[in-house]
Amino acid sequence: MKLTRLRVEQFRAFRQPLEITGLHDGINLFTGPNEAGKSTLVAAIRAAFLERHRSGSVDDLRPRGDGSASPTVELDFSLDGTDYRLAKRFLGKKRCTLQIGSRQLDGSEAEDHLAELLGFRHAGRGASTSEHWGIPGLLWVQQGGAQEVRDPVGHATDHLRSALNASLGEIASSGGEIIDIVEAQRNELLTPATGAPRGSYAEALRRQAALAASVEALDADIATYRQKVDRLATVRREHEADAAEQPWAGFRAQEQAARARLEEARSLEAGLAQDRQRAEQLARSVQLLRSQLDAFTAEEQALERRKAALDAAAQALASARTLVEQWRARRREADARYDAARAALQQARRGDLRRSLARELDERRRTITDFTQALSQAEGAHARALAAQRLAAESAIADDDLAALREQQRRITELQIQQAAAATRVRYALDDGRALRIGGSAVSGSGERQLVEATAIELPGLGRLDILPGGADLPELGRREADLRERRDAILLRLGLASVDDAESRRQAHARHQADAATAIATLKALAPQGVERLRTDIAAQQARVQEAEQALARLQEAEQALARLPEAGADGDATRPVVEAESQEEQARESAAAVAGKLAAADAALANAQAAFDAATRELAHAQAVLDAPERAQALAASQRNLLDARAEQAALAARIDALAQQVSAARPDILQQDVERFGRSAEQLERGFSQRRDELTRLDVELQTAGALGLDERRAEAARDLAQATRRVLELARRARALDHLFGLLRNRRRALTQRLQAPLQAHLNHYLQLLFPGAVLEIDENLSPGPLTRDGGHGAESDLFEALSFGAREQMGIISRLAYADLLREAGRPTLIILDDVLVHSDGTRLAQMKRVLFDAATRHQILLFTCHPANWRDLGVSPRAIDALRAAGPSAPA
Amino acid sequence: MLHLLHTADWQIGKQFGQFEPDEAALLAEARFRSVESLAALASAQRVDLVLVAGDVFDAQGVSDRTLLRLFNSMAGYAGPWVMIPGNHDAALSESVWTRAARLNAIAPNVHVCLTAEPLLLDGPGVAILPAPLTQRITHADLTEWFAGADTPPGMHRIGLAHGSVQGILADGIDSSNPIAAGRAAQAGLDYLALGDWHGCRQVDARTWYSGTHETDRFRANDSGRVLQVRIAAPQAMPDVQPVSIGQYQWLGESAQLQVASDIDALLARLAAFGPADVVQFALSGRCDLAGLQRIRDAVVQAQARARSLRVDMGGLRIEPTPEDIDALQADGYVGEVIGDLRAAQGVDGDDGELARDALVLLAGLLDERRAREGAA
Repeated sequence: MKLTRLRVEQFRAFRQPLEITGLHDGINLFTGPNEAGKSTLVAAIRAAFLERHRSGSVDDLRPRGDGSASPTVELDFSLDGTDYRLAKRFLGKKRCTLQIGSRQLDGSEAEDHLAELLGFRHAGRGASTSEHWGIPGLLWVQQGGAQEVRDPVGHATDHLRSALNASLGEIASSGGEIIDIVEAQRNELLTPATGAPRGSYAEALRRQAALAASVEALDADIATYRQKVDRLATVRREHEADAAEQPWAGFRAQEQAARARLEEARSLEAGLAQDRQRAEQLARSVQLLRSQLDAFTAEEQALERRKAALDAAAQALASARTLVEQWRARRREADARYDAARAALQQARRGDLRRSLARELDERRRTITDFTQALSQAEGAHARALAAQRLAAESAIADDDLAALREQQRRITELQIQQAAAATRVRYALDDGRALRIGGSAVSGSGERQLVEATAIELPGLGRLDILPGGADLPELGRREADLRERRDAILLRLGLASVDDAESRRQAHARHQADAATAIATLKALAPQGVERLRTDIAAQQARVQEAEQALARLQEAEQALARLPEAGADGDATRPVVEAESQEEQARESAAAVAGKLAAADAALANAQAAFDAATRELAHAQAVLDAPERAQALAASQRNLLDARAEQAALAARIDALAQQVSAARPDILQQDVERFGRSAEQLERGFSQRRDELTRLDVELQTAGALGLDERRAEAARDLAQATRRVLELARRARALDHLFGLLRNRRRALTQRLQAPLQAHLNHYLQLLFPGAVLEIDENLSPGPLTRDGGHGAESDLFEALSFGAREQMGIISRLAYADLLREAGRPTLIILDDVLVHSDGTRLAQMKRVLFDAATRHQILLFTCHPANWRDLGVSPRAIDALRAAGPSAPA
Repeated sequence: MLHLLHTADWQIGKQFGQFEPDEAALLAEARFRSVESLAALASAQRVDLVLVAGDVFDAQGVSDRTLLRLFNSMAGYAGPWVMIPGNHDAALSESVWTRAARLNAIAPNVHVCLTAEPLLLDGPGVAILPAPLTQRITHADLTEWFAGADTPPGMHRIGLAHGSVQGILADGIDSSNPIAAGRAAQAGLDYLALGDWHGCRQVDARTWYSGTHETDRFRANDSGRVLQVRIAAPQAMPDVQPVSIGQYQWLGESAQLQVASDIDALLARLAAFGPADVVQFALSGRCDLAGLQRIRDAVVQAQARARSLRVDMGGLRIEPTPEDIDALQADGYVGEVIGDLRAAQGVDGDDGELARDALVLLAGLLDERRAREGAA
């Protein structure tokens, strides 16, 4: 089928006529932005074919707001070499004509013919819906609907099946229903995935297990119960036998007999023990007596020992005394030697002292002489110094006075010079013999005079000349000079001097006196650095020492004289001996005397000890003698000897008796008898206890069994076993049913799968043809409804299978288009018209997939006419066809050429 | 003349797990009801006494309620009952009998012989020589003492025992609790009433097994009876008459199907079952789907009439005919599956049975579908 021309008028967005001509085989690409009218063109084609022209439910075909419009669509197409022209007008002026070659069909007839031709149905009433669309519904993909395949295929199933030319109908309808029922019933009993029991089957198994457990538990209880019953019988039998026989009575009698024999043996043992105790007492008293006798002997021996000791002590005392005498004589000698040495030492020391005193005396006397001489010289110097100091003090003039005098003299001189400069000079040269008088003083000869004040020159004879010096200040200068003179003179007067020169000379004299004083003082200092008085004191001190030395010497001499009077032999000879030697001899003598004294002391101590030992020995001997001499001692000794004899006799008798008794006891074996008593007693006790325990056990078992019996264990077990048998039967039935269902389901599924694959092979081939372009090696299964099933691809880890519904949107869209192209191929092979319309598809595909899909589309376009509408013209540029822009077509108006 | 009833093996408390719960409950209930019938019979016949030869209870541990109910069921006859314990309810040191005594369940007219000593009933003038079981199993003949037991002259000597008479039953069956053959004659008994054998059976002129009063198994052994014994005078030969007392009859039947008429016969047999019948039916042979359906319908019908009907079709091979297949409208792959299953059921053993099950199942489903479509 090939669409060649399309004309629309008053159709939705196209109020004005729009005609598209020159549509060609293969892909026809229409482009335009959103709302340009792409989908409207698709809607026009769909309406022309699918909607009845008489339909009242197609108001939406009118342009918006134009209630009177009659949407019109005209289509030219060719099919199997025949040209068709369909013209359809809706709503206002309803009309439908179909020109087939030279034949024309009108109205419903035309529409029914088209439906038969293209493979769709018309709605009974109202607008056509997807379930009526058949093949067009599958091949004409509306915007955003490419990924939906199942429903469109469902609506086109009949046509596809007839195209497959096979009895697929049976598969999908009757067989499908049966297999669904089988599967549902199987899945009630088994889990779909693992085939594990579920639902009522699992419940039955659980019940069976629970009942089996309870039967088992009851069996255990019953076993216990039966054991107790058996035990009860056994115990009761034993108990009754015991009660009749009383086996413990015999043992009790034997126990009594053994006990009597044991008591006999025990009394024998007691007698033996008593005798043995007595024997021990005897042995102890014999021992005591023997030690008493030993004590008496010992006392006698002690007396002898004391006597010998006393003799020895006396001997020791005598020898100690001898030793003391010897040491005393030696001590006397040593003392005498020591005294002599001491006297010699004294002598030597006195001589030494006398010589030293004499030397000191000489020295001091010489010193006194020196000091006396110095003293006289120092006194002379002192007198001189005093005189010079007095003179100096008399000639002293104060520095201020001298300076004032000198200043006043200098100013006076200055004033006199000024006066001379300013004075009237009167030079004269008088003839010889002539005289005159100037200012009252006679003048002769020649000379000059300076007048500083009015002066009268009397010229004898001639009268008088009053000269008045010219300078006004002269009188002033004169006054000032006079003032100064007065003040100078006052000072001089105060000082008692005649002139300033006197003052100067006096100053010089003062200096000279001071120098003299200093010289004298220096001399004095040299002679008596610490003053004259000190010198005198020193002299006095020396004199005192001299006196002392003289007195000491005197005393020495007196002493010597006294000594000399002693009858001392050779003392004078030794008097000159050196002191050191004398000291050494004295030391030796003293040490020797001390050593001898030490020995003597030791000898004295030894003597005292010997005396003490002797005294003690004497006392002890007396004591020992007293003990022996005590009057009761002899009686005691005799008694002890008698007692000893008695005790020994009794011992012998007792030993014989003990032997006899021991033999008797040993024969009786009381230990074995004791064991017999215990053995028989215990046996009896055990039997009695066993009897009592059995009685208790009987009571206990009775109670337990009565309690357990009331539970009706066997009946409950029988009931549980009954229920278990029923449950087991149900399990077996369900297992059998489940197994049969599972088996049947497996068979049906396998058979159906094989059949489906066989029948669908042509469709599968077409599908694979396209699929290989997109996913090499992949398989897209087709289910019995001819819808795409799982897609199996070679993934990263081997074959991976995804259900169609689980694929991504993009992949589903791609698979949707591939499936449709395959259906189209199938239909075409069956001689059915195919026109493929794709409105804005593959917008969710990535670049790679889109490129592959374009190869797919291009390939399909070699067999089918494809109208492709897109708002992404750039994506489809490489399809090798020139796009038609809807806008351009509109602008061109009707009869736009291709 | 001494007139007594001889019964045994009541097996009170027995449960029937092989049946559906409602059926099982009725069968257990019937054991009490038949005791009541027995008591009523005894009253009606005015017998001198009733002998119960052991296995009164199915187990020692029946519930107090069951125990009490049994003795209540016996209330319909006020004359003497003489019973001994059997191997199921042996007189152990603690037993159902000691419990019954504790519960005061045993009426004064009921004599339970727990020891081997003569029981003298002055009224009817009978000396009962009982051989009660005091252990579950004994290998000694407990009736040994009968011969040596002195009984008052002029009194009937009646033995009462539970066990297997030697040489009568097949070797190896219940060989424990032996009873010497000819014991009645050897011990000078007028009659030896035996229990343990669930079918009614005469051992010798004076020795009988009464069998259980209410049938409890499918083995055809003539059970559900009570023996009515009349003895004219001591040492006279007893007159023994079995009387049906049981409520249900247990039928173990089988049929082999080969041709269509076999099915007709089977259907006729099924149609004959009534409310007293407890039936176990084993089918073998072969049949087509239509026949199978007929059998199924008939079984459903029969199950509604019989007390219990269980049909085992395990041995039946289903062979659909071409007509069957056509009728099922199972062409295409379903038809292929039917073919597979038909072929597979010929295999012996498990797989064959599985195939048969699957085939029956599929046929049922297809038949249902056809019925549905027919109705639509």
